[in-house]
Amino acid sequence: MTEVKTEVRSLDDPNIWVDTPATIYDAIPPYPPRTEREAEFYHLRDGEMLLNLGPQHPSTHGVLRVVLKIDGERVVDLDPVLGYLHRGVEKLCEVGDWHIAISQCDPLEYVASLFSEAMPVMAAEKLLDLQVPKRAQYIRTLVWELNRIASHGLFIGWLALDLGGLTPLLYGFIERDEIVEMLASLTGQRMLFNYLRIGGVNRDLNHDFLSRLGDWMSRAAVELEQETRLLNENEIFIRRTKGMGVMTPEMALRMRVTGPNLRAAGIPYDIRRAHPYAAYPDMEFDIPTRAEGDSYARYMLRVDEIRESIKIIDQCLHEMPDGPIMARIPRLIRIPPGRAFVAVESPRGEYACYAMSDGSDQPFRLRISDPSFWNLQSVGELVPGNLIADTMAVMASLDPVMGGVDK
Amino acid sequence: MKRRLEQVFADQFAAPVRQINDQTEIWVNAKDLPAVMTRLHDDEQFEFEILADLCGVDTGTEMWSVYHLWSPRSPDWLRVIVPSLKRDDPRVPSVTFIWPGAEWPEREAYDMFGIIYEGNRDLRRIYMPPDYTSFPLRKDFLLPDDASRSPGEGVRHVEQTHQPAENMRQPQIRMAPQLGDNQISTLSQLPEETEAPPA
Repeated sequence: MTEVKTEVRSLDDPNIWVDTPATIYDAIPPYPPRTEREAEFYHLRDGEMLLNLGPQHPSTHGVLRVVLKIDGERVVDLDPVLGYLHRGVEKLCEVGDWHIAISQCDPLEYVASLFSEAMPVMAAEKLLDLQVPKRAQYIRTLVWELNRIASHGLFIGWLALDLGGLTPLLYGFIERDEIVEMLASLTGQRMLFNYLRIGGVNRDLNHDFLSRLGDWMSRAAVELEQETRLLNENEIFIRRTKGMGVMTPEMALRMRVTGPNLRAAGIPYDIRRAHPYAAYPDMEFDIPTRAEGDSYARYMLRVDEIRESIKIIDQCLHEMPDGPIMARIPRLIRIPPGRAFVAVESPRGEYACYAMSDGSDQPFRLRISDPSFWNLQSVGELVPGNLIADTMAVMASLDPVMGGVDK
Repeated sequence: MKRRLEQVFADQFAAPVRQINDQTEIWVNAKDLPAVMTRLHDDEQFEFEILADLCGVDTGTEMWSVYHLWSPRSPDWLRVIVPSLKRDDPRVPSVTFIWPGAEWPEREAYDMFGIIYEGNRDLRRIYMPPDYTSFPLRKDFLLPDDASRSPGEGVRHVEQTHQPAENMRQPQIRMAPQLGDNQISTLSQLPEETEAPPA
């Protein structure tokens, strides 16, 4: 290893020179390897070198650090380094009561936070064996599908941005912004909604929300076509996504990939069908699948999912029942002791939660399993063999959200 | 499903099969885990191909490793609990030979609980830095807030200080000459960590 000058000017005070710890700028860790795999990875053969990507790199969608082992322009192997966004949410949930856990889980999946905040809510409901009113179930289904569209819209934009196209991102954000403003008039927040409650939802549908929603629904399908027309037949986009990062069905199951990434490999596993919850048993919708399993299939599958979501929203609005939006439960709940497992289909896959209660008002253990975390680990299988520039494209097509990966 | 499970694995369960709402719960000893998991995954009458979740649990007296499986053959979630792992040396066989994707969750459970998954080829910390010594999700790792919650047990877990490895370079702050020594002394006068209050 050659001697590298690592002193840099401090960002706070340019007069201060800081000798940075080797771990940030050097790819080789300054401690002996802990496992065989680590030893194997950091042993370089002739012609190979290590390249540090991130944690502050725009194409890593947050703060993911990836150490790439490259031979020329080809990636031979890679080692994702997580934990830059770790907040210890599971521990924090054990300290506060069940209501506080809702807002703790909110920022996990910050692109679609209605899904992550559903975890403590649904777990508590299952432990209480509580019947949630029908109207609340429908409202939940409605806002979940809206949030799914907002998330997928952003995904399409980010994927194009990682391939060098800026315009689709702007269109994606226009779409997302409309939905987010709509949800803000319902929940009071644009990003971290904190809308679901144990036993129902926080507020009933209001006029502002419904008029915005009706306005948007009247042109959603047309706008989706317009936006995706930019990419669907774009020569550069197709050549950089078709055949890239191909995931076979067997690999997808072994690597335990879920959500659109699994369905793009041809396996129709969707929790909304496999294990229905909320108002999904009453809804009519298809589970789109694709056989190719490459980046392009993952993109197209999300476009198909947006169409299905619009269908579900339409049904929700037409069949919205009257009635209360909260079950009659005391505000200070003691959850009966027990164990419960719940899962919802988030835009990224199976969002699951395993909750244990000891009969107090605080969760004893609240394990949150985030799909981004599970999906991201398949980059180790998909990326090697590709060019460095395609690493971003494949990673973006898996659509990880680092807030959920690092918890 | 409950009946089929009881027929096939009659002698391998550590406790009777339980049905809780939409979850079937089985308890398996650590040594039987690979055989039971392989059977659940491969057998045509089970086909539990999807590993829905994998996590560790600290009950306060012992550690568990908990798995959730899903199969198209059953409308229920299957929960596999591996109970009574020793707190000072929890060891359980890895399931990465069936699902290589279980590698990261096993690393997470190791990071948070210290459960050692034998057979995982890459069992190192995943979230916490490599020189970290505690297991944060264990029940004896108390947050500062916990002291006010349970005054009887409010002893904070004092983390061991440990020397960095010799070959690890430490950040050094060097001042430009015109600033003088004043600020260096303030930097070195950071408040010392106070002792934990007596129980």
